[in-house]
Amino acid sequence: MVKFGIEFVPREPYWRIIYYAIQAEKGGFSNLWITDHFNNRNVYVTLTAAAIYTNKITFGPGVTNPYMVNPVFTAQAIATLNELVPGRVVLGIGAGDKTTLESVGVEMQKPLNAVYEAVDIFRKITSGESVAYRGEVFKTAGAKFLFKPKGGIPVYVGAQGPKMLELAGRIGDGVLINACHPKDVEYAVNCVKEGVQQASKRVDQVDVAAYTAFSVHEDLKKATKAAVPVVSFIVAGSPAVLLERHGIDVGKAEMIREALKANDWGKAFAGVTPEMIEAFSVCGTPDTCIERIGQLLKSGISQFVVGSPIGPNVREAIDLISGKIVPHFRG
Amino acid sequence: MDYRKLIEMVSVSKREALSSKLVDVILLSKNDEKMPSQLANTILHYWQQDTLMSESGLTALLEAAALLDPGKTVDVFTALELVDMAAQIREATVKT
Repeated sequence: MVKFGIEFVPREPYWRIIYYAIQAEKGGFSNLWITDHFNNRNVYVTLTAAAIYTNKITFGPGVTNPYMVNPVFTAQAIATLNELVPGRVVLGIGAGDKTTLESVGVEMQKPLNAVYEAVDIFRKITSGESVAYRGEVFKTAGAKFLFKPKGGIPVYVGAQGPKMLELAGRIGDGVLINACHPKDVEYAVNCVKEGVQQASKRVDQVDVAAYTAFSVHEDLKKATKAAVPVVSFIVAGSPAVLLERHGIDVGKAEMIREALKANDWGKAFAGVTPEMIEAFSVCGTPDTCIERIGQLLKSGISQFVVGSPIGPNVREAIDLISGKIVPHFRG
Repeated sequence: MDYRKLIEMVSVSKREALSSKLVDVILLSKNDEKMPSQLANTILHYWQQDTLMSESGLTALLEAAALLDPGKTVDVFTALELVDMAAQIREATVKT
């Protein structure tokens, strides 16, 4: 049975996010993901509040990266959370966002190595091991916690490119695929399967999640309007090959990129076309969202993550998802 | 203003609608910085326990809504035909 996850960005105050998290838990969501960017509120403080005010939902950073925070500190935070709510914590980790890293002068070196090594260090140290590690990116000399961590914390690897997707399938207990369109998700799942096979695992041992830009409302126009800003940023950050796969004019994407750089939101948002919305979001009425989620499920995902903006009114959107969309897939 | 006394005057039949509308005022407010963390934590506790419609839950919601957006809080009471209470809230929030 498909699991439903939900993502929040802690740009919002903690109380608003936790209100929605409680609502999502009551509404049948099984996973809560909190984004990790230095320019928003801290992910682990937000997750701690979620731990206190929720009862059963599984949660974790969605996703952190090994460049901004050394993997031993990430392991420390996650292991401590796992003491607070044992068995409800997961790690979501990826290579990070190049633009954000560059803004603080951090270079994204050898991303495949960095993610592989960070996951390896995370698993070793959260199992209570003393970690002497000489990797391409990370080195430790007998790092060990002075407390006894409860190990076995699942690791989800966030991935977009084919090599990272394959690595995610190979080393991850779960994979977070940044894609919304069935064509992209199908391609990504096939890459993940390659990695799963290399690790001699079964596909059903890996929780494969589509991490989507999502917007639902009973009024299609309102749902679409809410999705436009998020889609404009996705288009601006997408490589030409991905845009061309969806028949999107690369010149139009460039115009949006330039407008965003110039903080000309009106021009950027006006440049978003229906094709862009279709390619880079799951957006519409509950019925149209159900149809799209059904298509994504056929691609082989086991978790559907409702990401920003969720809807023009987040509270109403969570109610719509819980009341109409989740029950459709739970029979 | 004694919010608790005011909430005690709200008929049971209107409490569910009042709770929902006050939550909307709080969640949609742009005055995040006016929310005291202790009050936010109290509201989250009641929400977790499914008791936002209780007198204690509604009192916390009303206090928060009146702090974050007094005008819309008055509108909520007016829309629910709790006109006397709306007038009391208006008077109290204008004074402060």
